[in-house]
Parts: sequence; structure tokens; C-alpha cells
Amino acid sequence: MAVAVPKEVVKARENYLTEGGLLSWLVTVDHKRIGVMYGLTSLAFMGLAGFEALAMRIQLAQPNNHFLSADLYNQFFTMHGTTMIFLVIMPLGLGFFGNIAMPLQIGARDVAFPRLNALSYWIFLFGALFMYSSFLFGGLPDAGWFGYANLTERFFTPGSREDFWAIGLLILGISSILGALNFFVTIVNMRAPGMTFMRMPIFVWNILVASVLVLVAFPPLTVGLVFLVMDRFLGTHFYSTVAGATPILWQHLFWLFGHPEVYILALPAFGIISEVIPCFSRKPLFGYAAMAYATALIGFISYGVWGHHMFATGMGPIADAAFALSTMAIAIPTGIKVYSWVATLWRGNFVWTTSFLYALAFVVQFTLGGLTGVMHAQPPIDLQQTGSYFIVAHFHYVLGGGSLFAFLAGLYYWWPKMTGRMMNEKLGRINFWLTCIGFNMTFFPMHFLGLGGMPRRIYTYGAGLHWDFWNMFCTIGAFVMATGILFLLIAMVESLTRGPEAPADPWDGRTLEWSIPSPPPVYNFAEIPHVHSKDAFWEMKYGNNPGHKVPEVAAEHEAGHVPHIHVPAPSMFPILLAAGLALCGIGAVAWLRITLVGLLIVYLAIVGIGFEYPTYGEHPSKERGDDIYPLDSRKVGMWTFIGSESLFFASLIGTYMAYKGRDLIGPTAKEILEIPLTSFSTFVLLMSSLLMVLALAGFERGDIKAGRNWLFATAGLGCIFLGGQAYEFNKFYHEGVTLQHNLFGQTFYTLVGFHGLHVLLGVIWLLTLAFASFKDMVPKKRALAVEFGGLYWHFVDIVWIVIFSLVYLMDKVTGA
Amino acid sequence: MKLKASLGCLRSAILAGLSAACLAGCEVFNGPLSTFIIRSDFARDSYRLFRYTFIWDCIILLTVLVPMVLALFWLTPRTGPQEQEHVEGTSWLEAAWTITPALILISMAIPTIRLTFQNQPPTPPPGALRVRVIGHQWWWEFQYPEYHLTTPDELHIPAGRTVYFDLESADVIHGFWAPQLGGKRDAIPGHVNHIVLTPEKPGEYYGECTQYCGLSHANMRFRVYVDTPENFAAWVKQQQSAPATAAGNDPKVEAGAAVFAAAPCVTCHTIEGVSKGYIGPNLSHIGSHQTLAGSILSNTPENMAKWIRNPEEVKPGAQMPALGLDPVQIDYLVAYLESLK
Ligand code: HEM
Ligand SMILES: [Cu+2]
Ligand SMILES: [Cu+2]
Repeated sequence: MAVAVPKEVVKARENYLTEGGLLSWLVTVDHKRIGVMYGLTSLAFMGLAGFEALAMRIQLAQPNNHFLSADLYNQFFTMHGTTMIFLVIMPLGLGFFGNIAMPLQIGARDVAFPRLNALSYWIFLFGALFMYSSFLFGGLPDAGWFGYANLTERFFTPGSREDFWAIGLLILGISSILGALNFFVTIVNMRAPGMTFMRMPIFVWNILVASVLVLVAFPPLTVGLVFLVMDRFLGTHFYSTVAGATPILWQHLFWLFGHPEVYILALPAFGIISEVIPCFSRKPLFGYAAMAYATALIGFISYGVWGHHMFATGMGPIADAAFALSTMAIAIPTGIKVYSWVATLWRGNFVWTTSFLYALAFVVQFTLGGLTGVMHAQPPIDLQQTGSYFIVAHFHYVLGGGSLFAFLAGLYYWWPKMTGRMMNEKLGRINFWLTCIGFNMTFFPMHFLGLGGMPRRIYTYGAGLHWDFWNMFCTIGAFVMATGILFLLIAMVESLTRGPEAPADPWDGRTLEWSIPSPPPVYNFAEIPHVHSKDAFWEMKYGNNPGHKVPEVAAEHEAGHVPHIHVPAPSMFPILLAAGLALCGIGAVAWLRITLVGLLIVYLAIVGIGFEYPTYGEHPSKERGDDIYPLDSRKVGMWTFIGSESLFFASLIGTYMAYKGRDLIGPTAKEILEIPLTSFSTFVLLMSSLLMVLALAGFERGDIKAGRNWLFATAGLGCIFLGGQAYEFNKFYHEGVTLQHNLFGQTFYTLVGFHGLHVLLGVIWLLTLAFASFKDMVPKKRALAVEFGGLYWHFVDIVWIVIFSLVYLMDKVTGA
Repeated sequence: MKLKASLGCLRSAILAGLSAACLAGCEVFNGPLSTFIIRSDFARDSYRLFRYTFIWDCIILLTVLVPMVLALFWLTPRTGPQEQEHVEGTSWLEAAWTITPALILISMAIPTIRLTFQNQPPTPPPGALRVRVIGHQWWWEFQYPEYHLTTPDELHIPAGRTVYFDLESADVIHGFWAPQLGGKRDAIPGHVNHIVLTPEKPGEYYGECTQYCGLSHANMRFRVYVDTPENFAAWVKQQQSAPATAAGNDPKVEAGAAVFAAAPCVTCHTIEGVSKGYIGPNLSHIGSHQTLAGSILSNTPENMAKWIRNPEEVKPGAQMPALGLDPVQIDYLVAYLESLK
């Protein structure tokens, strides 16, 4: 029989919102607070991006208009797109909903790494502010949200605008990767006992797959941005034709990220809809298993379709056909989702809430966006549509009418849980209808404009092209939609100030978050629930007997009886670390010394995080409540991190291979690389891995002194390896192969250099551990800390073996 | 009575408004850049496939909308509690909505792949006219290797003869698109792309850049003139001959020629027999053009003067500087340029 859970849990006296003063939000590590901060930040940026959009719409209302200059228009569309993608939809889907709902839905007290969670948020905030601060230094970025090379090269886009964009995105990427890693580990490891994968709420499934996509998709973007920054700052030619490279490389790297990104934006939305529709249809989700598999399949295929953004670049008919097929294939699992939602509605008993209305509008609008997507999948059609307003219509239907509408559905759905207040349904209606009508007025006619030949990203157009009517119409629609969004703000403020208090379970929900008070107490669950089926809370309430309410059971933990529950302590290091990172960015565009200060702060903050808890590095303890989980989250996290890092190196190696043999001038690998020297340093590095094993063994035995000495020895060998590399670089440099000399030079130095940087980080890591052990900060029970350092070290060694074989050996063997 | 009349009035006003909106709305497909006006084989391939997909899309949309509307407004008695249904999936249904879309997609994929290969032949079709298209920030250059011709912004091709375009770029990535003649392709530095098409009907067609290429991306348009074979031959002949200037009989034109030769114009522009600049457009026959400055202005003396006075004002970021000529000089210069037929 199900665990007896009270229908109306008595309000916790202290909830997560009220505890502590305003300043405590700066150091909070509570996932619910972090979620709220993500939500507020994204909302603010949505206002900004909406303002930019309205300004653009005014400019386009009439032909030859002079409301915005060309320059301002280009800045606005670039930042509107960049903001909506990276600062609104993505952080709303993962950062906001992921934090607000996911841990509650799996019955956890927090995410796996609470401080990392705070860190993701602060990096996100500072990265976003950094990017927008370019406004103060000569204008906003203006090369489009997908920043096509070679327009982004310094020659074509001088000034620092594009520097802010590239470095800002690098910073934001770190935030996304850390956040996704956290969610991935949380979902894999911290589900309530009994919650198997096939009992997980479907929203959690979607967050899981979206997190994996972030981990897999961001490394290529990072590499692409690193090349861009090098081109702009160091004079390399990764994207310019001068040395034989091609700007197309950027498109491959960007869309290799960009298409999965589309699903990173869409999957959380799918998840929300899959919660909202069953709840307000009073039926379980139709085809749960198919939904779960479809989610995973979409994630998987989304990695093989990036070329559909590049049909106009002349990839050749074979590649075109392959990408066309893979893209069409992705329509099948997507269709399964849409039909399952419709089937869920079938014979439902509806509760017409605003949330439900948004969900219904989502299904229609997303389907429309999907259907035009099938057109773009076919190159002959796409060549008449890509780069036109038809595309603008398409992606606003999937992202705006899709993701954003789903997020509004989710906002109305989880608002009572989050704030403890109900929203006014009347205001909700006004908000919904204005937004929905305005949205369709704005974006449906863009299909016509696109088919009528209007290109996107134009700040003006001539008269007599027959575009005037619909452009004016779209602009009016945009203002209707903006008014609708205004009502959202009104409804939110009204609810916070005057809204009735929300019960724990206002919608008669199906999932665990509704089993705890609204707003939840800091520790979420007084008692970690045990799960016996999917729709766990429904089953607890009604048993397996449909339509039959189980008699209510009195709460064991009535008011006053608050169990002593360990919650993670607040920490100041996340915000500090993020500030350090932002300083690094500022230094890069302003004065390099600031970067050094930033790096120092980052280092100190990392050390701070590492040694903050006296128990960190111990095995999971009963007191922390971690012992109920099957794995050690930190180990899962470390392995996930290493997985994402490998993809970073894979992208670097891929570029090296792609550019190999395209050099216009020598010398290249064949002529210049020296096997004997490198074989020696390879040997040294391999030996260091061996010593690392000894070091770890020492710490695990409790023989700190031996462990420390082996650590020093390992780091020493690492230094010898680095010395060898420095010698090699210096020698090549004097032979004329500089970073800017030819393609070989830039790809070689970048790949090997980044590996060297990882070795350097490893050395710093190991030395930090060694010195900490003098202070007795690495006792036997914390040997895990050394184990992680070791894992990282071994990983770096393995990467070197791959590089050594591909870069050094292969040429000598095949090229002989 | 009064109410009835005003209601009638309102009704006719609404009807008039609606039909006006409909007319205005449909006008968008009759514009000079509409993809629904088909003037080449390439455009027709795209359009047919579009129409096929569009029909299926409508049907699929109905298969979502109809059950939705039924479920929401028809099936459910909207009062009273409903039994919790425990049907969580019906395998035949799920199989149906997996397999049916797959079949529909296959029926789209076959013509897609056929056309994708057909539109990108590995070698130029025999007898095709080759045109080199070079994108510049922010204007187009068209070269005819066969005729040793270069002309900016206005492309002439003969109806009925296959044209094989070689697309290149002098700076950043641009997109070459003349919708009524077919799909676009990018003009990428360090990379030659191709478009093959056979224009069917003489006429004037509009084109534009479709890949964001910087500040004046919006001002990078062009025209395509599909001529009858005779007119095309005549055009080629005219372009090949040295520009016919009226220098002898018009002192203003003569003075303009002198201004041109003395001003920095010559460093960037070619006029056959006068200068050999290659950074800017070839002006040898500029007087015979319909448009100016990336086809954003019609070619009138006023517009020409406006452009020369301050290119930046016409086209933000324009790579041609304002030359600081006085109005009289500009007047002469315009007379000279307009005489270059
Ligand atoms: C009030 C609502 C909105 C309006 C009026 C609006 C309007 C526009 C306009 C006018 C453009 C420029 C098109 C061009 O010049 O090519 C644009 C681009 C874009 N919009 Fe929106 N938009 C809205 C909401 C959204 C939302 C919710 C998203 C969701 C992610 C979004 C994502 C984008 C993106 C990615 C671009 C492309 C930017 C680029 O080309 O670099 N927009 N939008
Ligand atoms: Cu895509
Ligand atoms: Cu262009």
C-alpha cells in the first residue's frame, strides 16, 4: 500500500522564500531559490529582447522607414536572437523549470551539487551582463545570433562588439555545461527510492535528455568560439581564406551545436506540456513509454541533422540528401509526441485553466512550426525559403509559439507551488488571449512574407515589393502580443500582493511536488517518499482504484514537528568564482592584467569550494541522507565532466584533421615533427600516471607522507612533459612556424597547446592537494579528493596518447 | 430601423474591409520577388515539391486539429466527474501514427532526393552560358567569360538557354537569390558554388542578397533581365563595344569626363578606355542601366548625384567614400556617366 501522504500538508512555518534576509540570496545554494533567480533574470532579459523586437517591428512597419538606423537594427536583431536563445528560453527551460520542478518531482532534497548549481546561475548572470555591457563600449554585437564567419573576423567587424559576443558566449557556455552536468547527475542518481527510469515523471525525462544534449552540444560551440577569439585576438586564420582555411568550418561547428540546441530549447517545453495536459485532462499521459523513447530518439537524431541549416552552402548532393533524410526522420518521434498529447486529451475531463489554454495553443503552434520544418528538410524547397521570413515564421512558431508558450503554461502551473499564491484566472485569460492572438498576428503573416520573397535580417526594404500590408499587420500584432505579456506581469504582481494562498495541491496533481507544502520548506521533503508507480502522488492519493479516494491520513509531521534535516549550507564561493570568471572576460577586452586577477580569484574560489566542507571528500554519510542513493554523485559527476571534455578534444582533433593538407605553405607536420623527443615526453607522461596510482594508494592507506611525495613526483613528471612541449614550441617558432604562419601551425599549436593547458591545470590541481595535505586537509577519509585529481590526470594522459598517435605517429607511418 | 440600417452599414463595412484585406493580403504573392511566380525550371521543381508537401502538411494538421477539437468541445460532457481512464497507450494507434507519417515522409523523400541530384549536376550542361557571380559588400558583379564582359548589379541572360552560375565572394558570405528564377545559393569566399537554371520567359526579375553580410545587407539587391535571344545578342554587342559617349557634342559631358579622370574615381572604377580600377563596379555602360548602387535606386540623374555626393547616406557603410566634389563638378560627372550607354 502506498505511503500515507496527507492531502493538505500543513504549511511549513518557514519556507524557502522567507528564510534569511535578502543578502542570503547571494550565497544561497537552495535549488528553489536558484530557480527563482533564473526565472527573474530570464524574465528581465525577455523584456529587453522584447523591446528590441518591438523597435525592429516599428522599423519594418513601412518600406524605407527611418525609425532605426541600419547599425542599430543589426545590433537589435543580433541581440534579440542571442538573448532569446541563450538568456531567455534556455535558462527558463533548464535553469528555471529544471530547478523549480525537477528535484521536487524526483523526491530529492536538492540537486546533486548545490554549490555548483549556484555557480551556474552566477556565471549565467555575469556572462549575460558582460555581453550586454558592450553597449557601453561602442555598441552591441551585430553579426547575428549565429555569427557567421568570416564576417566576424576583425577585418570585417572591427571594434570590440564581437569580442563581447564571443567571450560572453564562452562564459555562458560554461554555465550551461555545469548546470547540465548537475541535472544529469541528479536525475541519474537522486531519484526517490523506487522511482525507476520508467516511473520518472515525463518532464524529468525531458530534462535528462536536454542535459545530455547540452553536455554533447556545447563542446563544439566552445571550440568554434575559441577559434573565433584566436582569430580576432591572435591573428590566426581559422575562418579566413588567407591561409587556405574556410569560413564553412564555423558553420559546421556552430550547427553541430545549433541543432541540438534547438532541442535543448524544445525538450523542457515538451516535458511541461506532458505534465500540464494530463493534469488538466484528468487522465494519465497517453503512451508514456513511447513518449520517453521518442524523447531519447529525438535527442539522438538531433545530432545528425545540422547540415539542414547549410543547404545553401553547396555541400553537394550527397550530403544534402543525407541531411534531408535524417531531418525528415526526426519528424517521426516528434509526431508521436504530438499525437500522444492529442490522445491524452481524448475524452478527458477538462479543467480550463490558463495553464491548460497555453498548453493547447502550444500543441497547435508547435505542430505548425514542425510542419514548416518538414519543408525546410527538403533542399529543393528550402533553397526558396532559407534566409527568408518564412524561416523567421518557422522558428518563432517552434520557439515562441512552442517553447515560450509551454513555459507560460508551466509558469501558471507551478506558480502556486513556487510562491504559495494562486494566480488570478481572469487576468490569466486576458494575458493568454492577447498573447496568443498577438503572437499569431505577428508571425503567421511572416510565412506569406517569406514566400513573397522577403529576406530576413534586412533593416529596410523598398516600396512596391507588395510586402507593405503584412509588415504593418505584423507590427500591430507585435504590440498586441506585448500588451499580453504586460498582463502577465500584472497577473504576477497581483498574485504576489493579493493572491489567495495556495494549497499544497491546487490542481489535484499527479507528481511528487504536489505532496509538499506550497511554497515548499527548505528541505522539500520531510521524509523522502517511496515510489511504487509512475504518477507517484496520484497513486498515493487514490491508490490503484480509479475514482476512489483513499481516506485521508493525518500528517505525521503536523505543524511544529519539523524533523531535523541536513540541508546544504550557504556558500559565498559560487558568486565569487563567477565574478572572477567575468573579470577574465573583462580583462580580455580591456586590460589583460585584469584577467590574471580574475584567474587568481577563480583559483582561490575553487580551492575554497573544495575544502569548504570539513566532510567533503568523505564517503556519503547517513547524516547527509546521501546513503539512500545507489551511486556516489561526485563520481558520476566526474565521469560526466570527463565525457564532455573528450568531446571538446574531439572537436579540436576534428579541426586538425579537417585542415590537414590544406596548407598553402609549409612546413607541415611531416617535415617538422620530431618523433624521438615527443616519444620521450609521452613516456614521461605515461610514467606519471603510474606514480599517480601510487599517490592515491598512499592516501587511501592513510600514509599521507608517501601519498604526498608521490603527488609531487607526478606533478614533477608533468612539468618535465610541459618543459618538453615548451622546448618543441620554441624550436618550431624559430623555424618560422608561428601560430599565424599556416594552417598546420595554428591547428597544431591550438590542439597541443590546449592539451598542455590541461596538463598545467592538472599539475596545479595535484600540487594544491599536496600542499593541502601538509595542513592535514587530505586525511584518509578524504582520499576521494585525490582520486578525482587522479582521474583527471589519467584522462589528460589518454588524450595525449590519442593526439600523439594522430598528430605525430600517423603522418610518419602513412606519409613515409 | 435605424439600428438595422447601421447594422447593415457595419456589415458591408466589415465585408468591404475583409475583402480589401484579402486582396491586400494576397498581393504579397504577386510581388516581383514572389516564389509563387515561376519563371524557370529550377523554380518549378521547388514549387511542385512545395505544393506536394504543403498538401500533406495540411492533411497532417487536420489529423491533429480535428481530434483536438472533437476532444475539447464535443466528446466530453463538460459537467460531472469523469472516470479516471486507465488506457495509457493503445498499440495499434501508436503503430499507426508512427508508420503513416513514415510512409508520407518517404513519398516526399523520393522526389526530394531526385531533385537534389538533378539540380546539382557534377559538370556544366553542354551549351550552357557560364556566368561568374561575385558578391561584394554590398553589390554584385557579373562576369561573362565567354564574352569578356563585366557588369555590376544587372544581369542579362537569354531566355531558353541554360545558365550555369559560378558563385564566389570577394569578402564575406553572401546569398544569391532571384526567387522567380529559383532557389538561392551562398557566395562564399574561397569556394565556388553553382546554380543551374533555364529561364523561360523574357522579363525583368528582382534579386537580393540572402545571407547577412554586414551593415548594408539590406541594400544588396540586383536585377535579372531575361532577354529574347536576339535582344541578348544585341545587348552583348553593345556591352562589348567601347562606351558610346557623347563627349564630342556636349560640353557638360566633356567636362564630366575630365572630372572623372582627375578625381579619385579612377582608382576604383573601370571605364573602358579610361580607367582600370577594380575595387568598385565597372561603369563602362552605366548609362544604360536601370538601377544604381546595388539596385536600390532607379537610375536617374538626381539619384546618381545623390549617390556621388554622399554614398553613406544612400547605403550605410558603403565602401565608396564621399569625394568632396562641388555641385557643379557633380553635375558634370552625372552628365558624363549617364551618357555612357
Ligand atoms: C514579441 C515577440 C517577438 C517579436 C515581435 C519578434 C520579432 C523578431 C524580429 C523582427 C526578428 C528579426 C528578423 C530579421 O530581421 O531577420 C526576430 C529574430 C529572431 N527572433 Fe524574435 N520576436 C519575438 C519573440 C521571440 C521569441 C520568443 C524567440 C524565442 C527564442 C525569438 C527568437 C528569435 C531569433 C533566434 C531571431 C533571429 C535573430 C537573428 O537573425 O540573428 N523571438 N524576431
Ligand atoms: Cu536544425
Ligand atoms: Cu550580401
